[in-house]
Amino acid sequence: MSGRKLLEVKNLKTYFTTEEGTVKAVDDVSFTLNRGETVGIVGESGSGKSVTSLSIMRLIPMPPGRIAGGEILYYPKDQDEPIDLVKLSEDQIRKYRGNDISVIFQEPMTSLNPVFTCGNQVTEAIRLHQNVSKSEARERTLELFKKVELPDPPRIFRSYPHQLSGGQKQRVMIAMAMSCNPDVLIADEPTTALDVTVQKTILDLMNDLRQEIDASIIFITHDLGVIAEIADRVIVMYKGKIVEQGDVYQIFANPQHPYTKGLLACRPPLDYRLSKLPVVSDFMSVTMNEDGSRNITEKQSSVEEVIENFKVSPEQTKERHRNLFAKEPILEVKNLSTWFASKKNFFGKALSYVKAVDDVTFDVYPGETLGLVGESGCGKTTLGRTIIKLQEARGGEIIFRGKDLLKLNQAEMKVQRRDLQIIFQDPYSSLNPRMTIGNAIMEPMQVHGVLANDEERKARVIELLETVNLEARHFTRYPHEFSGGQRQRICVARALALEPKFIICDESVSALDVSVQAQVLNLLLELQAKLNLTYIFISHDLSVVKFMSDRMIVMNKGKIEEMGVADEIYADPKRDYTRGLIEAIPKGRMEDIIARVNPSLQ
Amino acid sequence: MSSQQTSQWEAPESVVQKLLRWLFEVTPFILKRMLYGLVTLVLVVVIITSIIYIAPVDPARLTKGQRTDAASIELTRKKFGLDKPLPLQILSYINDVSPISFHNTSSDFKEKYQPLLSIPFGGTALAIKAPYLRDSYQRSGRRVIDILKEAIPKTLLLAVTSIFIASIIGIFLGVIASLKQNSWFDNLAVSLSVFGYSLPSYVSASILAIVFGFYLAHITGLNIQGDLYGYNDYTGEDYIVWKNLFLPALALGIRPVAIITQLTRSAMLDILSQDYIRTARAKGLKKFTIVFKHALRNALNPIVTAISGWFAALLAGAFFVEAVFNFKGLGWELINALMNYDRPLLLGAVLFAAVVFVLMNIIVDILYAIIDPQVSVGK
Repeated sequence: MSGRKLLEVKNLKTYFTTEEGTVKAVDDVSFTLNRGETVGIVGESGSGKSVTSLSIMRLIPMPPGRIAGGEILYYPKDQDEPIDLVKLSEDQIRKYRGNDISVIFQEPMTSLNPVFTCGNQVTEAIRLHQNVSKSEARERTLELFKKVELPDPPRIFRSYPHQLSGGQKQRVMIAMAMSCNPDVLIADEPTTALDVTVQKTILDLMNDLRQEIDASIIFITHDLGVIAEIADRVIVMYKGKIVEQGDVYQIFANPQHPYTKGLLACRPPLDYRLSKLPVVSDFMSVTMNEDGSRNITEKQSSVEEVIENFKVSPEQTKERHRNLFAKEPILEVKNLSTWFASKKNFFGKALSYVKAVDDVTFDVYPGETLGLVGESGCGKTTLGRTIIKLQEARGGEIIFRGKDLLKLNQAEMKVQRRDLQIIFQDPYSSLNPRMTIGNAIMEPMQVHGVLANDEERKARVIELLETVNLEARHFTRYPHEFSGGQRQRICVARALALEPKFIICDESVSALDVSVQAQVLNLLLELQAKLNLTYIFISHDLSVVKFMSDRMIVMNKGKIEEMGVADEIYADPKRDYTRGLIEAIPKGRMEDIIARVNPSLQ
Repeated sequence: MSSQQTSQWEAPESVVQKLLRWLFEVTPFILKRMLYGLVTLVLVVVIITSIIYIAPVDPARLTKGQRTDAASIELTRKKFGLDKPLPLQILSYINDVSPISFHNTSSDFKEKYQPLLSIPFGGTALAIKAPYLRDSYQRSGRRVIDILKEAIPKTLLLAVTSIFIASIIGIFLGVIASLKQNSWFDNLAVSLSVFGYSLPSYVSASILAIVFGFYLAHITGLNIQGDLYGYNDYTGEDYIVWKNLFLPALALGIRPVAIITQLTRSAMLDILSQDYIRTARAKGLKKFTIVFKHALRNALNPIVTAISGWFAALLAGAFFVEAVFNFKGLGWELINALMNYDRPLLLGAVLFAAVVFVLMNIIVDILYAIIDPQVSVGK
């Protein structure tokens, strides 16, 4: 069966009508998907990759969207004539959705209905497309749950989505997508919202499943590292157009388009240290023509050359560390604990606790970046929040510049807060949507009475906006007018407003595309050098932490697993847990791709 | 595919098992809510009783009317215990209302309180009894509890009817409006509901009464005014006049319909853009199933809050509407009690309303737990 054409997208055009005019989200895209094949579509937010997949399912919200032209031809197994999915009525397309073509969405947290049990939601799909009894559907669902390696399927069956972890929810989604043995499985960023370690298990699962089922997969992601682990063929999209496509080996070994090169280079490297990450704009510059089309000019043709320019030698790193660690620590955390009540009796008295932070001790030196890495639930975020007293500590000491923060009263703490700032994970929800970004950045200055009046503060905000590569005219704009990366830069500007000495970055780049992540990381490094900032950098992704940090702490179950110089921990992890984290990083190495795609080439 | 006989999985839970498991989980939560409710109720009784007693009104004078002499007023004061110090009066009333109370075992003790259990010691007895709401100052001194027992069923019927109709119409209109956002229907529904909500109930009641109960009475056959019970002059029996329920229920329903429509519309608009609705569409479900199974259930939370609030308010008495239609329910009794300052009846009705609100809150909390499994039922 494999090798035969299964899906053919021809000159697909999906447009959105907005107040500013028509947005060509998908602009004349053509590709084919053969039976048994996995095609990866890669690109940053706004490249049109998700809109392409939603167009295939005819799930584009209409209005404002519409499929303006093109064909999506589906070749069913038992039929010679293809079906043009674009031409089907809503009632006709329903029979294909979830049955012949199914989809796994990005956000497992929100993609399952919170008021129905997981079992109910999967059996619903089975009973919709197949003529089976209720108990048969249950049987099949339980088997699917077992196949996607969910523990205790009967328990999962009667659980509600909020009772499961993110990884488990995504497995339920996969089970649901596979429930009717589809021909085409569209995976729309299925691992983006998950921890690196969970991502690894989901990718492994999908690789196993695709051997087993007779489905072709369209795998959509912003991360070429992930693509390397799963795809046979790669399509690179940029601003609604396909800029390059080829088999995975070819794309990685010999990328043609500068955009592809940028995407390849912008992942934090593991085997060497860089002073900054290459970004897409290092490889190409874009100018807009009058008719709205783009001119792309290649600036650099060699990925290696760009990387070579940014490399830092081990000697330079050693020298930096010698200077850093000679100073007195700016922050000393001693035996810090934060507990949450996990069980309460009838009168609300805690009976047992979750030790989110359990007897943690470490120092941070001025000017350094201390990385904090571990899986969801390891206590790294709680630790960060406890340090700036957003969360109450149960015991221990937090000595910041000689003062124990836990012993300060509110007025004294307010003084300290000027120097202690935090940048949160989600740039979408950590900015007040009803406040202009200028006011959002100005607010902390008003609270702390920095500068004489709003006039001066406004001037300072504009200065800050320029520091984070935004413009003065953005002062009066609202958050929704900005992209994710821009919003995170606004959050950085807000954190900088009080000229702090110390910033905690809590998963500050986890919600961003890899290419945007590189820009924000570069900005953070630049600011650190310019303003002599000290960072605690928290992330679940060891590659990002390693790139950013001088030293790093590996956390697990509220305790420190391992602590030391970042490069040394990576090169020689002492603990299995650390090894697991390193293992889980999608590395995109050539030898791995060859081993997977064509073992005979080795 | 394996058949059921060779199933490797345990059998699914039966409905009874599910229910038992749920009850087991939810019982401590309900008990806790009821405990809070009880505390609230005690506070409410104390505060309301104090306010009504402290109000500078002389019930004795109001009871006896304008043309009376000092002696008979004095007599009335004594009879109602109004000559005692105010704090003592308040305490004594609360003691009467409380289900666990102390009384001196004088002659009328048994008859007044009808205790379920009394433990005498000395001249006093600890009694466990139904709340004693005393006798009306007017209405030939009838027991307040009897007057309420007559009025409450009528008001209950009225409230249930109007809130039921309002919920059905409101949810239906709201759902349709959300599905056809910005269409003429949506705009019409929104404007009408703003209008309906701004319309005071006595205005809509008056208009309905005059139009359908007077000008169009020959077509509709409805009365401009009328109680739920009619009295048969020949047999001397009461009978229910169902048609007298219609116009008051309609008048009362207008504002709830308006608010339920708007809330349903905005909740549905929010829910319909959620990721799990896209998942439901990707499964290939019919639009009807998506809207009424997957979306509406998630949208119910604010709707239930609104419905329950309105229902409690209607139960507490629909003063204007009952007055306009001369429908002798709780609201009608309360207005009369207030005008004559019939303090026991007034207090009885107000306390009943307080109980209704507290109970409604508990019920709504339980409903939330049923509708949304994410509501933590306090482990």
